[in-house]
Amino acid sequence: MRVIFEEIIKDIRILLAYPIEIAFWIISPLLWAVPLVFQGKALVGSLQSTPFGSLAGTSEYIPYVLIGAIFSTYMFTAVWSMGNALRNEMFYGTLEHILCSPVRPLYILIGKGLYNSMFSTMFVIVQLTICVLFFGLDLTVTKILPMVFFLALLMIGLYGVGFIAAALTLLIKEAHGILHMFEYILFLFTPIRYPVEVHPITRAVSALIPLTYALIALRGILLGIKFDFLKTSLLLLGIDIVIIPLGLYIFGWVEKRTKQRGTLAHY
Amino acid sequence: MLRRIAHYFRAINAENIKEWRIEWKYKPDFFRQFIAPFVYLLPYILYGIALLGGRFSEHLQKLTGVSDMIAYIFIGYLIMGFLNTACWAMGWSLRKEQWYGTLDTIFAAPVPRWVYVAGMAFHSTCHQGLIMVFQAVIITIFFSIIFSTAGILPMLLIVVLMVIGLYGLGVLIAGLTIGLKQWWVISEALSTLMLVVTPIAYPLAVLPVFIRKISLLLPTTYGVMGIRHLLLGEHLEYSLGTIFLRLGIILVVWVTFGLLTFMLMDRYGRRKGFVSLY
Repeated sequence: MRVIFEEIIKDIRILLAYPIEIAFWIISPLLWAVPLVFQGKALVGSLQSTPFGSLAGTSEYIPYVLIGAIFSTYMFTAVWSMGNALRNEMFYGTLEHILCSPVRPLYILIGKGLYNSMFSTMFVIVQLTICVLFFGLDLTVTKILPMVFFLALLMIGLYGVGFIAAALTLLIKEAHGILHMFEYILFLFTPIRYPVEVHPITRAVSALIPLTYALIALRGILLGIKFDFLKTSLLLLGIDIVIIPLGLYIFGWVEKRTKQRGTLAHY
Repeated sequence: MLRRIAHYFRAINAENIKEWRIEWKYKPDFFRQFIAPFVYLLPYILYGIALLGGRFSEHLQKLTGVSDMIAYIFIGYLIMGFLNTACWAMGWSLRKEQWYGTLDTIFAAPVPRWVYVAGMAFHSTCHQGLIMVFQAVIITIFFSIIFSTAGILPMLLIVVLMVIGLYGLGVLIAGLTIGLKQWWVISEALSTLMLVVTPIAYPLAVLPVFIRKISLLLPTTYGVMGIRHLLLGEHLEYSLGTIFLRLGIILVVWVTFGLLTFMLMDRYGRRKGFVSLY
């Protein structure tokens, strides 16, 4: 527990050394949604679209896109923070020290994951407050408890994704571009920007990504779109059960392989 | 004088070759760069299809004279590939050298700083140009997009002017990186702001008035509008002559401002001794 706590404290200190990053994570997800609003206005000419409604369950595309942007923060901070965590240690020159210390790397990654969850939640709260105050998003107390439930399920699954991202960095080193690509793939195959029912391929691939179910549930709660509470919870839980051991296995395998080949500290 | 210029050109080319070699070392990332533009573009196209229930928009036709949403969006994002080059490749260049531990060595080399930046710009243009040609061929065939070929030459001129203007931004980011260190936040913030303000997937008419005014200060706005006009016949609020003139003025202002900021930050960083700090 002390190792995890110290890792969190260390990451907080690094973040506070670059305060510009805090502002970035709060504002950027909302800014990413703005071009979609303008694009919608240019294509449809109004704030509602009937074809969009038949796919998404709501014809109002702006709240749909905003909610997608806000909650995707969890996914992107998981991919970026955990994916880059070990690469950054590599650049700082501290990776070998960390992996040689008498603690399992898993605890270090858990520390990074917990830090990531704490800050993502803080960013999401600020973004939701902005949407409630300026965009008229309806958020009542009764909606908060089910939202927290689904967010908890999402975050657990994201640890698995984060472990895989961290392993990827150890393996291919220059992972910045790959992480960017991963981010684009998530935009493509999850209902962050549009209902995935728009194409059979996006619908099929999205079924494997935890963010898909979390977004269905969170939009259902916030916008009153019908969804199956039990089925969505069970699916998210099922993905969590699979993805955490999978992430741990992949990370363990890659770590062992890089140590055996002596490429751990290579750039 | 001529010998010195030749010496600078050799240094610029050496920088270009060095970047190709480093990129080729990370093969998954090298090939990823050719696939990424497609993955980046598709969500915008699928979002458009979800909104319209198809490919063509009557409202877009009324606003711009172009009804094909896919062709309209594709041109916008294709051109914006150069923004990524300026913000990421050039902006990141110094931070990368810092991480490699080679920044001090490069800065101590017997060539002016701008030669290093010009080398990065040259490499970025070659690399991004190659990616864009690849993307253009694939998308045009896959979506059966028909372009007017009569305006290819003026289009290339617009691209050149816009790209040089964007390099001013790249140099500015590289300069800011010396002082602010956390380069990716600056790059991401500036590129996100420019993506919002530039009429990439929508015409200027849908932007709020204050954003429209900011938009008119960017080279990308004139670049995207001019190229779409020449290739797709989009209605223009300004004549082509005005677009060339404004692009020329913006180019001079942005490049001057970028170079001044870079030199200022470089001098300031050396005086304060934080050039190689993290």
